[in-house]
Amino acid sequence: MKFTRSWLEEYIDISVSTDDLCHQLTMAGLEVDEIIKIDNDFLIDVDLTPNRSDCLSVYGIARELNSINNNFKLKSNKNIKVIPSCQSHQLKINIEEKNVCPIFSYMSLENLNSSFEAPSYITNRLNQIGIKLVHPIVDILNYIMIDIGQPMHAYDADMINGSISLGFAKKNKSFKALDGNEYQLTSKNFIISDSDNVLSLAGIIGSEHSAVSKKTKNIIIESAFFNPDFISNKARDLKLHTESSHRFERGVDFELSTKALSKFSEIIGSNKACNFSEIISVNNSDYLPKKNKVQIDFKKINEVIGISLKNNDVINILKSIGCVFNKKDNTVINPSYRFDLNIHSDYIEEVARLYGYDNIPSNPENINISLSSKYLPRNVINHIKNFLYNSGFSECINYSFVGDNEFENMNWKNENFNNHYKISNYMSLDQSKLRSNLTGSLIKNIEYNSNVNSENSYRFFEVSNVYGANIEQILTCLVSGERHDESWAIKSPKFDKYDMNSIAEDIASMFAIEKHKLNYSIKGHTFNKKKYISLSLSITDLINFLDRNKNEEKFENYSKLPNIRRDLSFLIDSNISYDSLIKKIKEINVHSLKKILLFDLYVGKNIPEDKKSLGMGFIFQEKNKTLTHDEVDVFMNSIIDKLQKKFNIQLRK
Amino acid sequence: MSVDKLKKDLDKVLDEALKLITNVNNHTDLENFRVQFLGKKSILNGLMKSLSDLAPEDKAKAGKDLNLVKKKINDFINDKKISLDVTTDDNLDAFDSSMPGKLSSLGSLHPITKIMNEAIDIFQSLKFEYVDGPEVEDEFHNFTALNIPESHPARAMHDTFYLENKNLLLRTHTSSVQIRTMSKKRPPLRIIAPGKVYRKDSDITHTPMFHQIEGLYIDENVSFANLKSTINIFLKSFFEKDDLKIRFRPSYFPFTEPSAEVDIEYFDNKGNKKWLEILGCGMVHPNVLTMANIDCEKYSGYAFGLGVERLAMLKLGITDLRLFYENDLRFLKQFQRV
Repeated sequence: MKFTRSWLEEYIDISVSTDDLCHQLTMAGLEVDEIIKIDNDFLIDVDLTPNRSDCLSVYGIARELNSINNNFKLKSNKNIKVIPSCQSHQLKINIEEKNVCPIFSYMSLENLNSSFEAPSYITNRLNQIGIKLVHPIVDILNYIMIDIGQPMHAYDADMINGSISLGFAKKNKSFKALDGNEYQLTSKNFIISDSDNVLSLAGIIGSEHSAVSKKTKNIIIESAFFNPDFISNKARDLKLHTESSHRFERGVDFELSTKALSKFSEIIGSNKACNFSEIISVNNSDYLPKKNKVQIDFKKINEVIGISLKNNDVINILKSIGCVFNKKDNTVINPSYRFDLNIHSDYIEEVARLYGYDNIPSNPENINISLSSKYLPRNVINHIKNFLYNSGFSECINYSFVGDNEFENMNWKNENFNNHYKISNYMSLDQSKLRSNLTGSLIKNIEYNSNVNSENSYRFFEVSNVYGANIEQILTCLVSGERHDESWAIKSPKFDKYDMNSIAEDIASMFAIEKHKLNYSIKGHTFNKKKYISLSLSITDLINFLDRNKNEEKFENYSKLPNIRRDLSFLIDSNISYDSLIKKIKEINVHSLKKILLFDLYVGKNIPEDKKSLGMGFIFQEKNKTLTHDEVDVFMNSIIDKLQKKFNIQLRK
Repeated sequence: MSVDKLKKDLDKVLDEALKLITNVNNHTDLENFRVQFLGKKSILNGLMKSLSDLAPEDKAKAGKDLNLVKKKINDFINDKKISLDVTTDDNLDAFDSSMPGKLSSLGSLHPITKIMNEAIDIFQSLKFEYVDGPEVEDEFHNFTALNIPESHPARAMHDTFYLENKNLLLRTHTSSVQIRTMSKKRPPLRIIAPGKVYRKDSDITHTPMFHQIEGLYIDENVSFANLKSTINIFLKSFFEKDDLKIRFRPSYFPFTEPSAEVDIEYFDNKGNKKWLEILGCGMVHPNVLTMANIDCEKYSGYAFGLGVERLAMLKLGITDLRLFYENDLRFLKQFQRV
């Protein structure tokens, strides 16, 4: 809502600087966005919240200032007497839905002088606040709307044919508005029509057909009250927004409809623009919004705000905003211009607001809650993020939406997936669906970085929800290039999949679970000739597993006796997994076998193509006695025997 | 001399070598180690000589075993040599502490994660419990239960992403988590809900996805004065500034009443005092409590919502919102410190 200080001063005495004035408005909830100095005046722009339609006029702001601070005195405005100079059109008006339009007032203008111009104080003020001049009569209507808050509409009277009816549109009726656009109406649109045409979309915009133009001689001015419940969202649904719809959907004071026409008559009459009629009003007051009677609970007001106001102070605040207070039953009635005062807490807000938020103390509460339990998922995620941070990974955060690219046709475990969550009102095609994996986003991040920063090693990760067949929270680590940044001391090897295996292992160890209980996958990718390796892991599954299996950390005594290590090098079919090997060895159940380690893996030259060579170390130890080499020999032989029988391993010497 | 005896001796030698090599810290020690295990007077050399005593059929196998051990000890020596070559600790004059280290293994956490954690830690110290909820929501939890009916003009304030065919949407605020919590737990309730939220908006000051932390406290006799206190404590401790100037200004949200926007004072680059909006808050609207089956006569509560990006920009001096989602290493690596 824009206005100038001098315009405001027509209604109220302002004894303070513009900065001070704006500070007081802001602190009462009418946030001043901008103050611009123009000539000898100030243009003030207030960012109004949608509940305060009563302040969508200069007079409304003045009235509000007076309730904020009693030192701002409202001026009494004298009315100029003007005498109607013609008969009104006798319109036959049929209001089909009286609850939508309880008041319909209008007047007629005849023989508009084609050289008539709106008075300069009006055109100047409209220019200052950025409202376009259209037609002298429309300009005056716009001026009155800004001045006191009543939107009105001017129809070319010669274009109206027959009786006028107000009702809901028929489905799929099209309507050409005065903005030149064609709109498809629905049965939710409330329209005003004559026997042939739609004259206007009530409270929103008039038709092109009945709009006033330079040639217009005779005019009908409409000043109605439309119930906000039936206007709200209708303009937005049609992608329309007008000063009129903005006000009607928030609520216009129904007492304004005839006042606005009187004000219009004064301007027209004193400028001799044309002949004008008296005001005719179709009034179905039974259908007007009911004023709400609310019982005031003084104790509750003080409790909720945290202050101790006397009853009289509360009553004075309520009276200052135009409410009627009844001392007999402690009830309050809202003024017709306040659509936002309906229930008791609306009044609590008014008391708090006008008492001043700055004056409310800051008192800590006594918390009657046992210490909040640590939230497991947050701990799990933080531990993983910190581990990766300490392992040289940089965390990325990407948008959850993606477009169609080759990495989106899989879910995070790399299975085919096409059934995406699609956004119906996306902003651009590359943000049209929710991503089913994080790999694609991270590959893009590395691509982007290798164009702007040249690194020999990229290590990125992200933790986010993905939207595949299920909604899951996952971690993806993506690496490319060498394992480390360039260093003088160590020539870094290239990343391989086993590097990602260590990450999975460490994460498993961090939560004391076995690696194979993690739901994860390690994959190689090639994109734009660049190689990537990813590890993706379901955090959701990890958290669920930890939730179900609470394992306490307990110390286990260990043997201090010497251990014996034996190494074994052998060839084995390359398709046999390490896991199955370990499983078999464990089946033998050698009690003294404390640890198995893998110290060598070789494939290639000097080895048959379908074989791999493994070097494994076995560490034996007992709690109560020192093992002899003979005993260990027996254990080793049983291990070798089992592996030979099961996997046909060939020992290497 | 039997093969078995030889094998046991070899094991012993290897065990011994394994033990001793770890104690070797300089080249002199390493040379001594070499002489001890591979020199003319070494046990290994002695065993080598005794090979000739074996039966011819055992000789080959025993020889292999012996060579394997020899090779392993040689490996120990070579590995040690490499590590001694680079760690020149024994030669203090040559060590240059200003040299870069060998490997840096610090990555970085995204500033959003760091700022979010800082904020959550403060709220947890104020006894708020952490909860989270789905990013894909229905209209009930995102709007209706928060006193934002279909016809309400406030719905125009949120430009929402809707999903195809599913009657679902991307949550526009994490307040939906409050609704889910209230439907499961009874007061007293004291929670924070951090997470991603989505609004159909994209320009210099808006990204279609951003992060929020919403808080909710419901109990008997909760007042606006309590809300002021919590917000004051949070902001002063987050910005580590005891004399931070904070003001509460009346505003409007459908789910709170009275509502407030909170500004903090800062100085622009010309040194002018300015107020900057930092969060929205208020007393939970009775309709919201009633819809959650909480008796609004008995209970009252406050709620607040913070934009994480805004907090991060202010605290870290970031001026362009879009940097958060470019994931440029030149940006990310600036947030390496703990």
